[in-house]
Amino acid sequence: MNKSPGKKLTRRQFIKGAAAVTAAPLIMEALPFYGTLAHGSSEADLVIAKSGSPSQLLQAAMTPLGGMGRFVKKGQRIVIKANIAWARTPEQACTNNPELLSALIKMCYEAGAKRVAVWDHTCDNYQFAFARSGLKEAGQKAGADVLSGHGRNVYKKVEIPKGKKLKTAEVLRDVLETDVFINLPIPKQHFATELTLGMKNLMGIVWDMELLHKIDLHQCIADISTLRKPDLVVVDAIRILTTNGPKGPGKTEDPVEVIASTDIVAVDAYSASLFKHPKTGKPFRPEEVKFVKLASDLGLGEIDLAKVRIKKVSAT
Amino acid sequence: MTKIIPYLRRTVQALSFLFLLYLVIKTAFPMEIKIPVDLYLRLDPFIAIISTLTHKGLIERMLPAFGVLLLVVILGNFFCGWVCPMGAVIDFFDRFLFREKKRAKAFDDQPLRRFRYGVFIFSIIAGLMAFQVMYLLDPISLLTRTLIISFYPPAIYIFNHLLPQAQSLLPKNPFFISSIPLPVFKVNLFIFVFFIGILALGVIRKRFWCRYLCPLGTLFSITSRLRILKRSVTNDCTDCQKCVKECPVGAIPEEAPQDYRQQDCVSCFKCLECPPGAVSFHFNRPRWKTVDGVNLSRRYVLGSFAFGCVSALMIKTNPLQSESGLKNNRLVRPPGSLPEEEFVAVCTGCGECLKVCPNNALQSTFLEAGLAGLYTPRLVSRIGYCEEFCNFCGKVCPTEAIRPLSIEEKRLIQIGVAHIDKTRCIAYDTDKICLVCNEQCSYHAIVGDDKKRSIVKEEKCTGCGICENKCPVDGESAIIVYASGVQKKLKPENFNNKG
Repeated sequence: MNKSPGKKLTRRQFIKGAAAVTAAPLIMEALPFYGTLAHGSSEADLVIAKSGSPSQLLQAAMTPLGGMGRFVKKGQRIVIKANIAWARTPEQACTNNPELLSALIKMCYEAGAKRVAVWDHTCDNYQFAFARSGLKEAGQKAGADVLSGHGRNVYKKVEIPKGKKLKTAEVLRDVLETDVFINLPIPKQHFATELTLGMKNLMGIVWDMELLHKIDLHQCIADISTLRKPDLVVVDAIRILTTNGPKGPGKTEDPVEVIASTDIVAVDAYSASLFKHPKTGKPFRPEEVKFVKLASDLGLGEIDLAKVRIKKVSAT
Repeated sequence: MTKIIPYLRRTVQALSFLFLLYLVIKTAFPMEIKIPVDLYLRLDPFIAIISTLTHKGLIERMLPAFGVLLLVVILGNFFCGWVCPMGAVIDFFDRFLFREKKRAKAFDDQPLRRFRYGVFIFSIIAGLMAFQVMYLLDPISLLTRTLIISFYPPAIYIFNHLLPQAQSLLPKNPFFISSIPLPVFKVNLFIFVFFIGILALGVIRKRFWCRYLCPLGTLFSITSRLRILKRSVTNDCTDCQKCVKECPVGAIPEEAPQDYRQQDCVSCFKCLECPPGAVSFHFNRPRWKTVDGVNLSRRYVLGSFAFGCVSALMIKTNPLQSESGLKNNRLVRPPGSLPEEEFVAVCTGCGECLKVCPNNALQSTFLEAGLAGLYTPRLVSRIGYCEEFCNFCGKVCPTEAIRPLSIEEKRLIQIGVAHIDKTRCIAYDTDKICLVCNEQCSYHAIVGDDKKRSIVKEEKCTGCGICENKCPVDGESAIIVYASGVQKKLKPENFNNKG
């Protein structure tokens, strides 16, 4: 339409320009990610720390990964997705270990975090779950905001482009917008999905959790994990629930382990082995937990532990 | 000095109402408040007497009410004028919204004044037999019920809509806080209209409700004829009619301002503002006789009595109330409730349990429990479920219609049993894995079979309704809790889970 010949935009110029405009934000978005790679001091992709107090275990697990400084930069906002789903006491191992949560929050602040928020969309009433689990008190003492997702106003409706069955979901806005997202699951036996591990914990960032059951639970867990991959997964396997999961109370075991990784599939593949399969009596293989397999099919991480750099350390 | 008294009274009234409001707001998790939140109801002698009669035994929590009755004997009916929060609300609206119409002729209220006693006799007779009409009319119960059912949800609604605006004003806070779960009650509009109706009666006469209808006021009126703090007027009275005009309850007769109807006087002491200073109050021997009393003929009393009996019989013979098979098996009562018939006789419908329920599970009935059970609490699991570690409803019930239970006792009470509708359940109807109900069940009462479909273990099910609440099926749940008739105590050995 512009008839002045000197300034005419050729098609080639237009395509080039459009490509540049589209690519620029993508690259800029990705830059911090390359930054973390460049940090490069990590000796392993998955660290298992054994025996010690919760804070010692966390310290031991984080050091080979490159320390918390690899993930948290000065002035950043952190969101921790903890498991505060049930009104159970810490000894019953249905919710996170309060000392571990507290240690994690403190570690974030030491790395320069501006503010740490702990979120969960509880299954029991949030007031009872927060009080009985002791996690609200522990989190607040450590200086974090312990927040409950019981109000629809804290969610944002988003599309899940990589989702196979779950196409849209209302997800905690803070999780989507935060600088660093840390997943803090506690592995448990689970009647519907065999086990509840790291990815299952991410169901607690969704508003309508029951809907996922209706669509296809395993696929939905994998689909949700594509949305906002946690920058860091810290698995609270200090005490695990082996029967009557996920609400318990049931039998517990004390592996006294904290597992830290950046790979959400690898960490679940390892955590599954903490449990014995009810039929075979042998530890769970990663493929036996359907959502781990489906997540690996989606390319979310490495299910074959032989291909992951694993480091076992002792905290004491 | 005497000029301050009306202001003082208004301040006390306002404080009394605000204190009630404070207690209602505090009727919520975590219930750490030292004062009993149902304090006003416990101080209500009308509820105390009726519930003692219907319960056939003294209710410990209601004992303070008899102290109030004793105070009325000493001071006269101070409660209506100084303490009653409903009176405070009515005074406020009479002053600002529903002003009394100006009349050319004086208002002859002789028949209306009698009406109150008729209502009183009727409601007591009907109440003792079947229909708890007196609880519907008790001002304290009525006010707390209205505040909780009709005004609390809109307040939360407004707050939730203001919250985002307030948050956007705080640039330092990058985190969004969840809004408060909106409480919902089905009968809210009905109760609201009833309440506004009472307030609007002020157009006919100031404090219309208090003078001509209120059963608590009637009880106080009868008691205050025994009062020992009495008004006396010296011969200095100039018949200026100032006290007659200013008396808020019209207890001073025009033709004889030296006298007063001691049963109507609310001890507001406004008449102390007498120009010649002729009025004073002194302690004196009680005297039952009063001037210008109500003309309660034998016919009137017997008529009210008979009317009460017949209406009670009507309700008793209604199919909803009898064992006719129309019995509502979805009528699940809160844990620790008395057996149904006693429950509706003792529950005052004050709504405290509805307010304190953390999951909004307790709902007010309309006609589900028959007329006799109007405004009594029921558990509607699709709205909310009974929280496992909560026993608040028993803690706040003023008449112990919901008995106070320890957490351990409460966890063993079976209020109903869940049943699966296999034609609608996702696991039975399709091959999907759902098991939400199994996952949510706090008592291990729902187990899965080898095809991962839920089965209810009746001997462990408490009927808390968490399964019905969380069932992902649209509309009505595929697992429904039905009342188990009388609440049973489950055997503790069925539980391997210690809280």
